[in-house]
Amino acid sequence: MSKGSFSDVARRDSERHLLAAVDESENSRRTIIYLADFFGDYQDIFITLLSILPEPSEDYFATEDERQKWLTEQTAHITNKLAEYRAILVDAGFSEKQIDVRLVVRQCASIGDAILEEQDKLRCCIVAVGRRGLSHNAEFILGSTSSKILHHAKHCAVLVVE
Amino acid sequence: MLNENTLSKNDVTDLITAYAGAERVPKKFKVITDTSDFFKVEYNDVVLLAGIPFWIKRYEMEGRFGIDDQPKYWVRRAIDLRDGTTKILKLVFHEKFDTTIGDIVIKCFRSPKKEARILELVADHDHFMHGTWILDTAGNIVRVLDFIYGRNFDQLIVELGHDHHDYFFNHFPDLLDRYIDLVIAIKFLHDHGEKHGDIRRDHIILDRERQIYRWIDFDYNFMHGESMFGFDLHGLGNILTFLVGRGDVLVPDLHQNQRPLFDSLWGEDLNISYKNRVANLRKIYPYIPESLNRVLLHFSQGAKIFYETTDQMLNDLATAKIDVAKQAGRI
Repeated sequence: MSKGSFSDVARRDSERHLLAAVDESENSRRTIIYLADFFGDYQDIFITLLSILPEPSEDYFATEDERQKWLTEQTAHITNKLAEYRAILVDAGFSEKQIDVRLVVRQCASIGDAILEEQDKLRCCIVAVGRRGLSHNAEFILGSTSSKILHHAKHCAVLVVE
Repeated sequence: MLNENTLSKNDVTDLITAYAGAERVPKKFKVITDTSDFFKVEYNDVVLLAGIPFWIKRYEMEGRFGIDDQPKYWVRRAIDLRDGTTKILKLVFHEKFDTTIGDIVIKCFRSPKKEARILELVADHDHFMHGTWILDTAGNIVRVLDFIYGRNFDQLIVELGHDHHDYFFNHFPDLLDRYIDLVIAIKFLHDHGEKHGDIRRDHIILDRERQIYRWIDFDYNFMHGESMFGFDLHGLGNILTFLVGRGDVLVPDLHQNQRPLFDSLWGEDLNISYKNRVANLRKIYPYIPESLNRVLLHFSQGAKIFYETTDQMLNDLATAKIDVAKQAGRI
């Protein structure tokens, strides 16, 4: 949905809206390249680049200043990444109006749940995520966002890019 | 009420005299109200927090994983000079460090705020250490913990029974009940959005006076991944494996002393993080009920699914508890 084009609100219901959940990792970059290659020629697809920046609790920092500094740095870092991902899509043939970028800074117990909340709000029909290829041990202790989305997504397809 | 404005060094000397006798009043000591530099807090000094005088004694120690008796300089045993009770003072130490578990590295932090918050949360909960927190004059959150007299869980377990069979049939059923209580206590934290953060067997003490097991030390925190409680569940699994095995069953020991058992093992039978420990203990002790062994297998390299919540684990433990009691002839 392009900004200011209120006349096409009705299109939302039928639009092919893809949510690409990304972070600064290499697997996110691979996901964007995959989407660019696969969907670059489709003019009727709208893509939202979503990044969830989990806001750490005050526990992690000795002072509020330290916390704010961390948030500012991380926000700037991921904003740059999102711009980079947008450029990859544009290079592949997406028009600017086909792309929206959304950075959500919030406290969350689960990034997977936070992504699915955004999917629900935006009614995206596909959620695309990368897979980190965690070891068995790491998947147990850290958990896997892609597995969480695969198991808990409703009313949408899930695309996991290896 | 004493406070830092009215309590002079002479007052403090009088309090020490009243508690310990004139002969034990140190010739030199400091009265400290700002604990920012905890190395300056020395034996026999008095830390004054909101007017409460704590007479500082020894460092607390931590010994495991080959680092025996490592002093924790920021954790001091102290006497509350108002009533003579022993306390543990945890001074502020903003440590950041990496913990390695198998092939993964977790970024950990010590958080006085977290521990202070949990102390308030568990003030009426039997299965946690108790205490309060006080700000010093520099705004440091000093935790004042009630001293628990007793021994660590792991020291006790390995002494029970004359062999594993005796242990398993005569002691383990009661221990399993107590372990379940400890898991329920962790569920209490999780239900309130808190992690313990450092679940390990030497962070459980059998309170000698009250004869209950209690969790200690919850100042660790870490940037969790998708699974907020995965690290805690990992710790609970390791403790259960230790409990069922009457200590860790180590692969090198089996190789050396029980070769047929060693030969029966596959990679999938080992602990998910520590590849020298056996998780599939039914292969070693065939009388372990399957339902209990299934819980252990969630923490093995062969695990297909993992526990994500304490509720899932508690459901399986409820079945295991019945089977263990039946096997021991208790029901």
